[in-house]
Amino acid sequence: MGITAHKIWKTLGDPPLKIIKGISLTINDGEFVSITGRSGAGKSTLLYLLSSLDTPSEGDIEISGYSLKKMKDKDLFRFRTEKMGFVFQFHYLISELTALENVLLPAMKNKQQMKVRGRAEMLLEKFGLADKMGRLPRQLSGGEQQRVAIARALSMNPAYLFADEPTGALDSINGEMVMKIIKDASRESKTTVVMVTHDSDYALLADRQIHLTDGEIASQ
Amino acid sequence: MIFLAIRYLLAKRKQTLFTLMGIFFGSAAFVAISGFFIGFQDYIVDKLVNTSAHIHIQAREDFLEEHSLDSSFFGKNSGYVFWSPPPSGRKDNARVENPQGWYDRLSVDPRVEAYSPQLTASGIFSKAKSSVTASIIGCNPAQQAKVTTIASLMEEGKFTDIAAGGNRLIVGKELMKRLGATVSQTILVSVGTGSPTPFKIVGYFNSGNKNSDLQAYGSLEDVQKLNGTPNTVNEIAVSLKDYKQATNLALLWSKISSEKIESWEQQNSSLFSMFALQDALRYMMIIAILTVAGFGIYNVLTMTVSHKKKDIAILRSMGYSPKEIVYIFLSQGLILGVSGAILGMLFGYLICLYLQTLQFAGAPGSATTEQMHISLAFSIFAQSSMLAIFSSTIASIIPALAAGRLSPIEIIREGAE
Repeated sequence: MGITAHKIWKTLGDPPLKIIKGISLTINDGEFVSITGRSGAGKSTLLYLLSSLDTPSEGDIEISGYSLKKMKDKDLFRFRTEKMGFVFQFHYLISELTALENVLLPAMKNKQQMKVRGRAEMLLEKFGLADKMGRLPRQLSGGEQQRVAIARALSMNPAYLFADEPTGALDSINGEMVMKIIKDASRESKTTVVMVTHDSDYALLADRQIHLTDGEIASQ
Repeated sequence: MIFLAIRYLLAKRKQTLFTLMGIFFGSAAFVAISGFFIGFQDYIVDKLVNTSAHIHIQAREDFLEEHSLDSSFFGKNSGYVFWSPPPSGRKDNARVENPQGWYDRLSVDPRVEAYSPQLTASGIFSKAKSSVTASIIGCNPAQQAKVTTIASLMEEGKFTDIAAGGNRLIVGKELMKRLGATVSQTILVSVGTGSPTPFKIVGYFNSGNKNSDLQAYGSLEDVQKLNGTPNTVNEIAVSLKDYKQATNLALLWSKISSEKIESWEQQNSSLFSMFALQDALRYMMIIAILTVAGFGIYNVLTMTVSHKKKDIAILRSMGYSPKEIVYIFLSQGLILGVSGAILGMLFGYLICLYLQTLQFAGAPGSATTEQMHISLAFSIFAQSSMLAIFSSTIASIIPALAAGRLSPIEIIREGAE
């Protein structure tokens, strides 16, 4: 069923500034979509709207057939925990928790940490962090921190992965490593991936590229 | 979520420890000071309740007012009478009216444990050239022993030795000392204008209180005869099964009789005012300490919320609800409150145990020492924990609600800028 946006608008500030201008689009299940565009084109805003973190000023979005407008808060919070994973430009790891505990954080919400622990360890091993599970974020490099953040996003085996400039703060080697992980998640787990990126090379790794200009889809 | 709250607290160990200390000292001080004051109050109340009667029914006490005598002098329809000067003074009755009616009522009342009719008179006690003014109380010793602890205060002789009559006396230690008398000696007692009557001392008591020890007890009939008032009593001392009912019963009985009826609480009202003042000071002190501790918690949590905005954003993106975010920060305050209260109460309890081992001098003039009476009542610990938890909840609710209101998307946008 994927994600469908119906003529969504987003207006911010006073005087109101139209950031997203009546975008309609469909992202199919298992599809890897990249969103590109210049700074201020509305890429991140569109990603946050599609991922339910932000609400459109007009229009509606459906995820897995559920209208976000009609969905109750309680259901939306559960849906985010069980079906969505987020990766941001900055890792946003909790500095007081170890790498493994950070990965288990989504599972802790539903007290499923014991059930998810095996998968969390498997992901960290797969991302080359087998010997760093007990380390605090400050004891990890930037690339390692971002890999832990991706492991956290994938720990609940989500149907949707939303990534906002996941390589933005990384060097090219770490950036490529992160992109490979995201691409593998899309291919192996059939996770629907929506990724915002500035990098045209990384955008080309996606099945489809959506290019935004001034809040509107210029090409896809 | 408690797990995360604990981790946040452990990450700022020094701050957490200082905040915890505030609650800790507040709770410990409350338990120790309350234990001391309540123990003291209980000790005093225990003394009052156990050593004297719970209700005193005494001869009525009337005061003359400006028009009290109008009808007596000028008849019922005298109109308005001007007095110059107006009458004033007391017109006390020297005896309890219809004591038999009281005996009948008290003996069938299920709330009454025992009662003892008394006749108290002021007399002059003399032996050779020594003479002392003191009270002589006439009573039935078997009944009197049920309403007071006088029988247990006997140092020589038995209180019931006066039961047989025949002008026998039990005197207080102080009275005996001032007369220079000893047991088995005869002294002279005179009341009012009556001639001195010989009484034999058959025993003495020591209550530790000089005023109480300046009294003498004789049989009711002997004192009535001495006073020239046969079959008369001026007080009925009553003990109750539940001493806490004394004031209510005294008020009830006052409505249905003309006698002056007072409970032990009414007779010692100034003492209870002092207890109320002690309680007010105790609560003010704990509130002051816990307010300071509460501000500590407020500051720590406000700083934490401010520093943990990104954590809040990522938790919200994972599906944590605003309520759960509030819970994470509120529980930090509660953890501080609960753990501070538990440790503080434990420390306060240890202080109380230590205080209980200390000795203090007994009543003035008494050579005895007593152990400190420290209360370890459950209510002290319940109040202490409630106050600590209440203050920490109030202090943490504002920053916790602020954390719950934060918009994840705004935090992420701020982070990206």
